Amino acid sequence: MKRLSLIALMLIFALSYNANAQEASVNEKLSEMNDKVNGLTERLATDEADLQKLTKIKVSGYIQAQYQNYENLNTQPTNFLSIRRARLKFTYETADGIKFVLQPDFSPGAIALKDAYVILNDRWTKSFSLWAGKFNRPNYEVEYSSSQREILERSLVIRTLYPGERAVGAKLEFNPVNVPFHLQLALLNGNDGLTIANSAGTNLNTNENKDIDNYKDIMVRATYNLSLGSFGGLDFGAHGYFGSLKSNALKTLNSDYTTIKDVKFGDAVKRNWIGGEFQLFADILGGMSLKGEYIAGKNATIGYSPVAAVGTTAAAPGVANFQNSFAGYYIYFIKNLGKKNQFAFRYDYYDPNTDITGKDVTIAKYTSADATNLKNRVSGKSDLATSTFGFALHHYFDDNLRISLNYDIVNNEKVGTTAGVSNLMENYTKADGTVVKNGLDYSKNVNNNLLTLRIQAKF
Amino acid sequence: MRIQTILKQNKMKTLNIKKFAVVAILLGVFGFAFTAAPDRITVKGSDTMVILAQKWAEVYMKSNPNAAIQVTGGGSGVGISALINGATDIANASRKMKPSEKDKLKARYNTLGVEVACAKDGITVYLHPSNKVKELTIEQLGKIFRGEIKNWKEVGGADADIRLYGRENSSGTYVFFQENVVKGDYASNCQTLPGTAAVVNAVKKDANGIGYGGAAYAEGIEICKVKQDANSPGYVASAETIAKNQYPISRYLYMYLKNRPTGAMKSYIDWILSPEGQKLVVEMGYFPVK
Repeated sequence: MKRLSLIALMLIFALSYNANAQEASVNEKLSEMNDKVNGLTERLATDEADLQKLTKIKVSGYIQAQYQNYENLNTQPTNFLSIRRARLKFTYETADGIKFVLQPDFSPGAIALKDAYVILNDRWTKSFSLWAGKFNRPNYEVEYSSSQREILERSLVIRTLYPGERAVGAKLEFNPVNVPFHLQLALLNGNDGLTIANSAGTNLNTNENKDIDNYKDIMVRATYNLSLGSFGGLDFGAHGYFGSLKSNALKTLNSDYTTIKDVKFGDAVKRNWIGGEFQLFADILGGMSLKGEYIAGKNATIGYSPVAAVGTTAAAPGVANFQNSFAGYYIYFIKNLGKKNQFAFRYDYYDPNTDITGKDVTIAKYTSADATNLKNRVSGKSDLATSTFGFALHHYFDDNLRISLNYDIVNNEKVGTTAGVSNLMENYTKADGTVVKNGLDYSKNVNNNLLTLRIQAKF
Repeated sequence: MRIQTILKQNKMKTLNIKKFAVVAILLGVFGFAFTAAPDRITVKGSDTMVILAQKWAEVYMKSNPNAAIQVTGGGSGVGISALINGATDIANASRKMKPSEKDKLKARYNTLGVEVACAKDGITVYLHPSNKVKELTIEQLGKIFRGEIKNWKEVGGADADIRLYGRENSSGTYVFFQENVVKGDYASNCQTLPGTAAVVNAVKKDANGIGYGGAAYAEGIEICKVKQDANSPGYVASAETIAKNQYPISRYLYMYLKNRPTGAMKSYIDWILSPEGQKLVVEMGYFPVK
């Protein structure tokens, strides 16, 4: 009996020792696991903080590949495939309301910097933002991305006034909270995309990052979004461009080809215009819109001074600056067809010279009194107005992929005839290199129609 | 003579391309002009609203067997993006549509969208039941979520670090809370969680945690009273305090549509705004619009 009790006691002791040892081991493991979890939680918090920094960088972009068929007899080749856009846009938005944007455009054999700007947002009223760098000029069609545009290219008036769309400068935006009013005021170099030629025909304006003169241009745009209740909304506004270019010539000729005035080198040759815009959005049969803009004013082309004879080099006459009164407008009709399709029509008109009509073109009204110092300048093709009817149909496969068919019917202003012969004719070159003399007659419509089939992928 | 022949040939080619282009565009126009409206309704967006939207869909489909309504969350921003890119018919949002989003809708669909205020919500501040702190001012909450107040003892609680839980930046609640309470940037140590339920769960498990989200999710946790300022009384979100505009962080909940609703969509929206639909709003812990 004693022996049995001893065995039982020993067993109890052994079991309790074992249980204690197991508990100690479990506690140890638990503590180890706890340390591991704490370590992982700490690492997760660090990783999350790092990840949050990365989420501030946004990358977007799009590629447009297209087939185009030109009906213009002077365009060779008449049809080709091309990459119109291959862009990547990097946006970094810091926590304190500062945004950096960088957008290069890649095309076969070249990379160009399209956007490079910083935006400083006012943190107090949340209404002002200051932009600095290279950005879109403040205009509706300019700022409307080509990836969204319903007619594949911008209207001629916009392409002429704002070549390349972007400009280097600074811009102040005022977007008051809870008021649908927007104001943009920009100070620009004003030389972006312009050609300023010398007597040898070389473009002097090649440094896109530097002004060509000391004159700065100002652009202002104000818009208001008016709600029309359940019908839709009307956005309307106006913009103005007030700029100058430095004169390289001693005369400035007006686009009436009659008024010529003396100027000094370095004098300001004004480029001023104003425009009005509207965009009407109506919730009718799945959504439609009507958009339009009218712009008129004076633009300028800079001439050059005469070159004196040096040694065996003969003297060359100069060319007067040219200040042209112009007017242009566009109107869009856009209709959604179900969820996936969209139809668009646009009529756009641009008259680069409102001082003379087509019938006046080539009839010289101004002849230089001193042909040694000043070249005669007569009106020509560049004074003719152009009107374009554009039709487009888009199919959206999804948010990323759009296929578009666009057809532009382009009409030119007609010139007069003298004794039954057109006042303006041009040669054109065929695909085999043969030159067709006077094959383009501007007393009739010269075919400039264009068919574009474009596929666009964006992300 | 030769020139005339060439011109004639070119003219023929031109006419053919012109015909092709005009015919293709017209075919497209007429082919797609009468696209039928979808029978199925998809709803996507605000996580705050997802339980309410699911309830609406469930009850509506019971009494309307022909209706097929699919509801998913993801956040207000995700819902609005889906509306813009055509992936949903209704976007639920616990914030108003931003001007930049409206511009995208204009560009893609030529409409300004239709905003339907369908319920109200009070953004609730969640605390662990053991937390001694029971009420906070808007200013204190702002400082806490900006990371300027880091310890509970600074607002009358225990000497312990404050742990922040919030939503992802695609959430309307994140945006609304940031604009109306944080008034700045969230502290970098604020843990972002995918949904209000996840925020509630995190605070439930963390004695020193604080989070925010819709009132309807506040179960098993302490609801912090919110004071407009130090001299104001503290309130919790309730039908009464929200109706009287006493609760300082209340907001409308919206449904956004591309166009004015017609057919099945109109019937569904009308039902949501009817007494029957609004009764479910209350049942689910939200507050009615009327």
